[in-house]
Amino acid sequence: MLPEDLKHRLEAMIIDSETSREKAVDVMFAIQDRFGWMSDERMEEAAGLLRMTPLELDEIATFYDFIYRSPVGKYVIHVCDSVMCMMEGHERVIDHICARTNVTLGGTSPDGLFSLLPVCCIGYCDRAPAMMINKRVYGKLTIEKIDRILDKLIREDGFHPSE
Amino acid sequence: MPRLVIDDREIEVPEGTKVIDAAGRLGIMIPRFCYHEALGAVGACRMCAVKFLQGPFKGVQMSCMVDAKDGMVVSTTDAEAVAFRKWVIEWLMKNHPHDCPVCDEGGHCLLQDETVSSDHSRRRFLGSKRTYRDQYLGPYVQHEMNRCIHCYRCSRFYREYAGYRDLGAMQIADKVYFGRFRDGRLESPFSGNLVDLCPTGVYTDKTSRFKVRRWDLERAPSVCIGCSLGCNTVAGAQFRAVLRIEARTNPDVNGHFICDAGRFGYSYTNGGAGFRQRPREPMAAGAGIGREGALERAFGALEEVARKYGPESVAALGSDRNSVETQCALKKMCAAKGYLPPVFFLDPAARRKTCEAVARLDERIAFSRSELESADFVIIAGADPLNEAAMSALALRQAFRKGGRIVVIDPRPVSMPFDFEHIPVVPEAIPRIFGMIVANSIPGEGGGLDANAGKFLRKLDRRSEDATLQSRIEDLAAGLAAAKRPAIVCGTGIVDETTPAFAADCALLLYRAGKRAGVFYVLPGANSYSSAVLSENDGRTFADILEAMEGGSVRALVVVENDLFRNFPDTRRLEEALARLELLIVIDYLPTGLENRASVFFPSSTAFETGSTFINQEGRAQFAHPVHAGGVPILGGSPEHVFRPDVPGGGQKPAWSILHGLETGLSGSGGISAEEIIASHPAFGAIAPLRYPVDGVRVIPVQSKEEFTSQSVSGGEPAPPRGLRLLLVDWMFGTGEISAYSDTLLESIPEPVLTMHSADAERAGLLDGQEVALRLEGGTVEVRLRVTEKMAEGVILLPRHQNLRWQKIRGFPALIDPERIAAL
Repeated sequence: MLPEDLKHRLEAMIIDSETSREKAVDVMFAIQDRFGWMSDERMEEAAGLLRMTPLELDEIATFYDFIYRSPVGKYVIHVCDSVMCMMEGHERVIDHICARTNVTLGGTSPDGLFSLLPVCCIGYCDRAPAMMINKRVYGKLTIEKIDRILDKLIREDGFHPSE
Repeated sequence: MPRLVIDDREIEVPEGTKVIDAAGRLGIMIPRFCYHEALGAVGACRMCAVKFLQGPFKGVQMSCMVDAKDGMVVSTTDAEAVAFRKWVIEWLMKNHPHDCPVCDEGGHCLLQDETVSSDHSRRRFLGSKRTYRDQYLGPYVQHEMNRCIHCYRCSRFYREYAGYRDLGAMQIADKVYFGRFRDGRLESPFSGNLVDLCPTGVYTDKTSRFKVRRWDLERAPSVCIGCSLGCNTVAGAQFRAVLRIEARTNPDVNGHFICDAGRFGYSYTNGGAGFRQRPREPMAAGAGIGREGALERAFGALEEVARKYGPESVAALGSDRNSVETQCALKKMCAAKGYLPPVFFLDPAARRKTCEAVARLDERIAFSRSELESADFVIIAGADPLNEAAMSALALRQAFRKGGRIVVIDPRPVSMPFDFEHIPVVPEAIPRIFGMIVANSIPGEGGGLDANAGKFLRKLDRRSEDATLQSRIEDLAAGLAAAKRPAIVCGTGIVDETTPAFAADCALLLYRAGKRAGVFYVLPGANSYSSAVLSENDGRTFADILEAMEGGSVRALVVVENDLFRNFPDTRRLEEALARLELLIVIDYLPTGLENRASVFFPSSTAFETGSTFINQEGRAQFAHPVHAGGVPILGGSPEHVFRPDVPGGGQKPAWSILHGLETGLSGSGGISAEEIIASHPAFGAIAPLRYPVDGVRVIPVQSKEEFTSQSVSGGEPAPPRGLRLLLVDWMFGTGEISAYSDTLLESIPEPVLTMHSADAERAGLLDGQEVALRLEGGTVEVRLRVTEKMAEGVILLPRHQNLRWQKIRGFPALIDPERIAAL
């Protein structure tokens, strides 16, 4: 069950829109900001608010990379694997993150801190290779730069997800 | 009309025809996966590539995306196009499993055919195949996602065409997954069409899974007898069992599709799951007697009764389930022997309603189901399309998709897969309201109409005392006034007796007012049209016969394919009357229970075992070919190892042949000739030139003898009846005569409920979901209560449900004092 306050906020968001389904992504993001991911139950509840069937909402949810339909770590690292980043060596980035945080691509680290997912282009082609962690984008990645970012997150003086 | 050349052959096609269809008209089958005539083009699969040599386009293009234009020269065999298609196949086969030998689609698989025809046979791709988890989709459709080639036919049909919302495309790129949100049965009652539509084996028929290969089936064109629409099917049988029903395309009747009740409700003909339910041998007083013995006994007994009490002491009852051949044979037998002419209806009101509807159908106003699809304004008067004739709801959905406006005037909480307006009123108020909509749509006094039409128009009420209703009617009338092809869909179940004729007159009035207007009736059963035609001059029904049985003037009764105890509303009275008979002869293929009461019982053939003609609700005679010879199926067990000259369990004969035997006393294969059928009624003359009209032929007159003769419905709002009017209603699953014996449908049958308006429930102190006892004249029915606001006040709805002993009503119409409904 969604908490009452969140539910009220979502309902207000939906009422403001011309057609309820145009808010589908915003509603899922709002729920995900609170809980980290979209469980089946939350999908069904969100679909009810949006007057959609759970399937119709799931079609949207599973289309996008940034809506998580299974549990993820506290920090979700999306490494870009589109052409520019591929040419600039995105595989080295992935390999290093895997070794450093003990995750596999598509998996979550045992401590629950990191999940690693590929993403197809985040618009940082001029600063390839690039990655995105909880909505913050990092470009011109080097091994050193990645280490600095990860160290900061591991020391827990990183940023809050909603930052 | 563009003219173009395809593969060196010239063709002229209507404007807007796609090149792929233009080629189809020449008999050239351009390979395709995503393109389907009913679903339209999306250009997703890239398989229908052809080369345009001359004209507005040049080079390789998708033939489903290009409209045929003047001067086009197209080659489907050009090397570049052939190579293109071969690459597409190779790329689709990259992920498709090599499971053809164990796949149920094997042998009738579009992907298999087109892979072979493209000459792709060697796998160059070294990667592994993509795999998915399959879902449970209910008892009818088997899911096997690994085989998917992402043509999107399934989700396009399911969501766009049929309007259900629980199956779709998830994920992205090479992970695209067609399925439900989670495992569970598909909500759509048209889900079986996925089996036909899928170009490969993602969706296969679960009821026939692993039982038969397509090429081993004996297949024949057949006609569904589940409701009055007469959808065209292909039936497939093997090892003496009917195993698969597929939709057969008939643009006038069912288009490309059929409903699940028709597709999966076939197991009655096999005798149910254990093959034991169907009575297969002639019996006397419940014991086997053999074909010759039965005929001798029955013929002798009939002669005896006729000699003792006179031939008019023998009566005969048919049904809507009889084929035209059977009905004509029954009529002929009665006439030849001097018996009472046969009756086909149980109660007088049903007979009058069906006869009124049938008498009014003519070439001017009879709409076929496909004409309904292109109607731009539809008034549904006293019909529940999804429950009474499911495929008509799919036609209405297409009308809705094309921008048509649909209004339902019916007391029931009608539900259909699209948006419509609903005016829930009691049955007696239905004609007045749609009469008002029609009257208000014609300006002034109807100048320009002929005298009869003008007179009819002036008799119609225009104003309602209810201001809200009046403004709603005026709004609808404005919509109707602007419509060019309006349709009136009229039921014959819950409506008053005068409504069907009134609907025809309203359609005729709109027709005279310059619109391409029509009426689409929903009749009670598969062959109601023929029942009505054959009893048009004979007002008697089974009600009269029953009285004669009670009075002692009828001593013998021949029942042909009528599930009397299911259909008759007073079980006790029926039992007593049957007990008074000296002779009861029953002919049927269903285990109705009558076979054990019968003095002599003859098993008859189903429509799968003998050629039979049925006339659907728009007067289209359609011939169902026999598929197989019948007998006890040998599937799922070892056949008897006994030498015998005949087929085990093959004691059945066509009902018309049995009737011929009862008439002449001769066994053998004699029956009824086409000439005799045509002689039974002038309407059947249209069948003559074809003899076996597989694709259907309309038997309706050019112009009906009656017009503008329906009773006027003016005179203000009808007084509300005291008490609640009990309406017996049909459901798509659970109320049909045939579906009751098809255990393949068991899982679809919902629990029976008594439905009541919330205001009525509140007055009676009843709550939604409560178990209630409904005290009827003939006993108490215990049933769960459903309360809704989406229906008319003053009526309660009880389904003719197979798990409900509703046959205690005694008679129609039944008015129920609210105090007779009490919570348990």
